[in-house]
Amino acid sequence: MSVDVKEPVISPKKRYNILFGLTLLALLLVLWLILGLSTTTFWTTNNIANLLRQGAMIAILAVGQTFVIITGGIDLSVGAIAGFASTIVALLLANGFPIWAAVLITLGIGLGIGLFHGFGIVKMGLPPFIITLATLTSLRGIGLLITNGATISINNDDFTNFSRNDFLAVPNLFWMVILVGIPAYILLQHTRWGRYLFSVGSNAEASRLSGVNVNRTIYLAYTLSAVCASFVGILLATRIGVGNPTQAEGWELQAIASSVIGGTSLFGAVGSVQGPLLGAFILATINNGANLLNVNSFWQRVITGVLIIVIVYFDQLRRRRK
Amino acid sequence: MTHQDFASQSGNGINATAAMMAADSPILELKGLEKQYFGTHALKPTDLAFKSGEIHAIVGENGAGKSTLIKLLTGVIPRTGGNVYWRGEPVALGTPVEAIKHGINAVHQEVVLCPHLSVAANIFLGEEHQRFGLLRHRNMVREAQKILDDLGFDLPAHAMLGDLTIGQQQLIATARAATRGARFLIFDEPTAYLTRKEGMQLFALIRRMQASGVTIVYISHRMEEVFELADRVSVLRDGTLVGTRDIADTNENELIAMMINRSIEQIYHKDSFELGKTILETRNLSGKGFENISLTVREGEVVGLYGLIGAGRSEFVTTVFGRHPKSSGTVLWQGEEVNIRREKDAIKLGIALAPESRRDQGLCLSLPVSLNLNLPVYSRLSHGGLISKTEESSQADRQIADLRIKTSTRSASAASLSGGNQQKIVIGKWLNHGAKLFIFDEPTVGVDVGTKAEIYRLFSALLSQGAGIILISSYLPEVYELADTLHVFRRGEMVATHQFKSASHEDILTRALGSAPANPISSGES
Repeated sequence: MSVDVKEPVISPKKRYNILFGLTLLALLLVLWLILGLSTTTFWTTNNIANLLRQGAMIAILAVGQTFVIITGGIDLSVGAIAGFASTIVALLLANGFPIWAAVLITLGIGLGIGLFHGFGIVKMGLPPFIITLATLTSLRGIGLLITNGATISINNDDFTNFSRNDFLAVPNLFWMVILVGIPAYILLQHTRWGRYLFSVGSNAEASRLSGVNVNRTIYLAYTLSAVCASFVGILLATRIGVGNPTQAEGWELQAIASSVIGGTSLFGAVGSVQGPLLGAFILATINNGANLLNVNSFWQRVITGVLIIVIVYFDQLRRRRK
Repeated sequence: MTHQDFASQSGNGINATAAMMAADSPILELKGLEKQYFGTHALKPTDLAFKSGEIHAIVGENGAGKSTLIKLLTGVIPRTGGNVYWRGEPVALGTPVEAIKHGINAVHQEVVLCPHLSVAANIFLGEEHQRFGLLRHRNMVREAQKILDDLGFDLPAHAMLGDLTIGQQQLIATARAATRGARFLIFDEPTAYLTRKEGMQLFALIRRMQASGVTIVYISHRMEEVFELADRVSVLRDGTLVGTRDIADTNENELIAMMINRSIEQIYHKDSFELGKTILETRNLSGKGFENISLTVREGEVVGLYGLIGAGRSEFVTTVFGRHPKSSGTVLWQGEEVNIRREKDAIKLGIALAPESRRDQGLCLSLPVSLNLNLPVYSRLSHGGLISKTEESSQADRQIADLRIKTSTRSASAASLSGGNQQKIVIGKWLNHGAKLFIFDEPTVGVDVGTKAEIYRLFSALLSQGAGIILISSYLPEVYELADTLHVFRRGEMVATHQFKSASHEDILTRALGSAPANPISSGES
């Protein structure tokens, strides 16, 4: 079969995506360089490890969130799920469950929440914003009801040591990002379900008429997001050694921000795994650096907002020119 | 009503005498107008004069430069050379606002209004009636109703725009332009989604505007409309103005020859194939929008479904395809009764559907051509859960080459292609899949003559491989020339069946319209 279609080795779109990724990476390195020069404390093993731990949890949330945003939806519940999961895992451990069982049960609960979101969207016809907003508020309430407002402390050292320990001189928590990131990348770029996430986000009706199981694709996206969030809840519990349903407040917005900074379009059908990861670490660096420079923590929030506008604006400029 | 009545409705008060004043002097003149993109000409230097008060049709294949010309005239894109004279004065036309200020307006094929606002709110959008900064709702609804009544549109002004049909929305968009003092109005394929009645209402409105001195530019793929409506016609080909004719001095064959150098017989190319076994049979199938449809499709056969938009044809095929549930009746696939409950079941059997609306149902516009082409077959391209990228690319490249889809790369977004090439993707994605029954719902709407011919040749190729085709079209010559068996639909029922060319156009049309002929609104110019 003769093919007379000329395909450049790298298409313009791909080139742009690579360029965008490199720009984010450069931004991250520049931030690190500036902080290294302006503080004595930044380039210390302790601080870098700390930064990687801080960034890791938002990064994993952002990856899950990105699946949902690619389908054209949004998941506002991830912070609440993380807080809820930290409570559940702490309760299970306090009740003598072995670590593996506590972790699996907690992840299973996350799976259930994701399926519930899928059900609400597909079967009940609720907008993603509404169903996940409902979960956001009610999960925190359910957590408080279960604990009666108390914080559950974890006395299992094996569990809490996990976040303090390193593997190959890199914090365990950062390895978790890789553990989640690689399968996520493969799913998104190399499987048909990855293609379907994009096609549903671009045009659900056309996908349906092409034989794509749109409902299952939506279930998949929200389930992945919720499982990632419950995983983050477990990591959070190991890091601070307690379970409390009010933890991780506002993390859903940080996850969305990371995703958007990483090039995900809130209109759907545009996004990657590596972008949100970089976005999360850029945000973590800004927070970390602001702390080191003794910048008022209120300013950190302002800076985050400005950064979102600037990066998304540059992306918009590119799109408009097309 | 008289012109004056109509004119008094319009924002700028079009004067009826304007038409007589300067019938021959050009209202808009292009001298050497051109547009280049990175060195390639989308429109080569063009000289063209639009006479004041004429209806000037512009025809040409997709990519011939029609859209470029519209965009230049409406200030959407800047020109790269030449001059434009508006009533003899050179104008820049750098922005849409400037074009509208001169009175140059366009009505697009896809309505660009707000579906969630009322008809009245849409008509006055941007020019709301206010008092003390507050909207005068009742006043606007009353005014809008008067405009609609005057135009002979049987529509309530307080209705939500989104509740109207596309055709009705198109009429509202036109009425809106008319009330805004448009002096030069460009219609870009306005009838593509209109029913016959709506089309006639639109024509009456266009003629009325012409009579009140508005110059009309009318772009269409439908030759019969051009001859019905236009005074003069210009033909574009490959960015070049091939010629301009008085409508009285030309005919369809000449125009088509100017557009493509190909005759009409060569377009509706039909090979006959021996009809084989029955692929699909429906027995008294009923569902939402249609009742008691019994028909068969055999190997090598084109079954045409003709009728007006809303006659139940699309509902029938989408139900067969599993998109909507049937209410009663049976479907037999190769002789055996089947229960198609969702699209996947139909696809698994070997049914392919190229739906009516490319944008809404056919394509993921923002995504690459290759993804769109492969969407139905990703389960086959996955091995152990992973997609073979080389297979994905080669499948896409094969279709791009076979169907001659014009695209820069396979990873270009579907949105960057022209309408005809997008349609080829909608069809092409089912060729990789290897279906047995192909359902084409209005496959050539908004597609140029050259691409049409290619699509029909593709039909022959499919038939020769033993496939069957259901062809839905609102364009009679298309189904008439191509269908072995032609079923006529009206109001959800099958009212007639004809073998290949066994009835006249008139017979078929009468059947489709029903006993009472369609009632065109009076032009109001008597």
